[in-house]
Amino acid sequence: MKQIVGIADMKVSNNPKESIITYSLGSCIGLVIYDPVVKVGGMLHYMLPESSIDKDKAATRPYMFADSGIPRLFKTAYNLGAAKQRMKIYVAGGAEILDQKGFFNIGKRNYMALKKMFHKNNVMINKQDVGGNVNRTVRIEIATGDIFVKTSGSKEVKI
Amino acid sequence: MTMLQTLMKEIKNLKPIPAVANKLLAVVDNPASSMEEIANVIQYDPAITASVLKTCNAAYFGLKYPAESVKDAVNMLGTDQVIELVLLKSGAKALSGRQKGYGMESGDIWRYSVSSALIAKQVAVKFSLKNKNTIFTAALVKDIGKTILGNHVSDASKKIKGLVKNKGFSFREAEKKVFGIDHAELGALMAKMWKFSPRMIKIIRNHHLADERMIQDKEIVTVYLADCICMMMGQGVGSDGLSYRFKTQAMKELGLCADDVSMIIAEFGMNMRAVEELLHIV
Repeated sequence: MKQIVGIADMKVSNNPKESIITYSLGSCIGLVIYDPVVKVGGMLHYMLPESSIDKDKAATRPYMFADSGIPRLFKTAYNLGAAKQRMKIYVAGGAEILDQKGFFNIGKRNYMALKKMFHKNNVMINKQDVGGNVNRTVRIEIATGDIFVKTSGSKEVKI
Repeated sequence: MTMLQTLMKEIKNLKPIPAVANKLLAVVDNPASSMEEIANVIQYDPAITASVLKTCNAAYFGLKYPAESVKDAVNMLGTDQVIELVLLKSGAKALSGRQKGYGMESGDIWRYSVSSALIAKQVAVKFSLKNKNTIFTAALVKDIGKTILGNHVSDASKKIKGLVKNKGFSFREAEKKVFGIDHAELGALMAKMWKFSPRMIKIIRNHHLADERMIQDKEIVTVYLADCICMMMGQGVGSDGLSYRFKTQAMKELGLCADDVSMIIAEFGMNMRAVEELLHIV
């Protein structure tokens, strides 16, 4: 069974029959976490780096922003028995339009927001496929923790 | 046969966007138009009328009594909502196919087009721009050129991708280099053959701001911005990906800073469920 993570959305699962997928990341970030011991996996699809631009929206749609979505993703996985020190982390997305510079480069800012939070909390990224000008779709199989990425117009590849 | 002649022949074989869309735009962006005039234009096209009534009566709109005429629909849902539905219905067929050349599955280009149109309208309302229905429609049909150029992009895929990857070309620039025409210019040509208004043709032709002088045109910049945001959101984005140029100057022209762009993205994120539902019912 496929659990679909929409835009500004998150799913966590410990059901080995399930896979979690998010489509069309663009400049958004798809953050995938997996604890191989308890076989708990989760995925967050956030759109923007900081919730400070609109607190009301962050209150109703916390998964829209890196700073309000990422802690919730980890906490939900912990509630299913996952542990921080065992967690495998994969990051995809953060693409940019050509010549998209400075603060207008939302893809890069999305990625930097995550890096900053991970640095502060001693979390290491195991693998990533970020930046560039491509649109990505990411999928994780809960039974194995295998992660697959597809860019528009190409075939899905296991990473 | 030259490339342009081949493309012209293909356009002639294509079923055009229904004329009602054009007629409607001529009426709706005139502030003096009455609700009755608008309803009259729509009901002139029986296929669109039937289709709009069917959609209006879908559970999504939660009408207490079914709309039995366009006038009913306008009274119950409001003019803007009905106009939007007619415009969406008009574009749906022409933009629903699979675009193999652009790596777009069936429904992708439609998703992209509807998302762009809704973002463009959001921006037009935010800046109180006139002609918001023209902006909505231009954003909806701006990539119509891809429906014809797609087959040729497929054949020249290696060449185009090579120019983008190794030579620093944008996807549009690579199309222009390989075919002598890009999808925006081709879209404008189609719009001209289908007798769209000169204003609409101009917006379609310039929606990537290839001609930088167009940066001063707020309607074009609004459609351009909606396109950029849609690319960033990845909605229905194909293998051309985000390989188009971002013009910071265009944002300045609209008086937008990066936080404003983020706010527009957040607002679109809030409306995503409505977009999904709209995609299902139209």
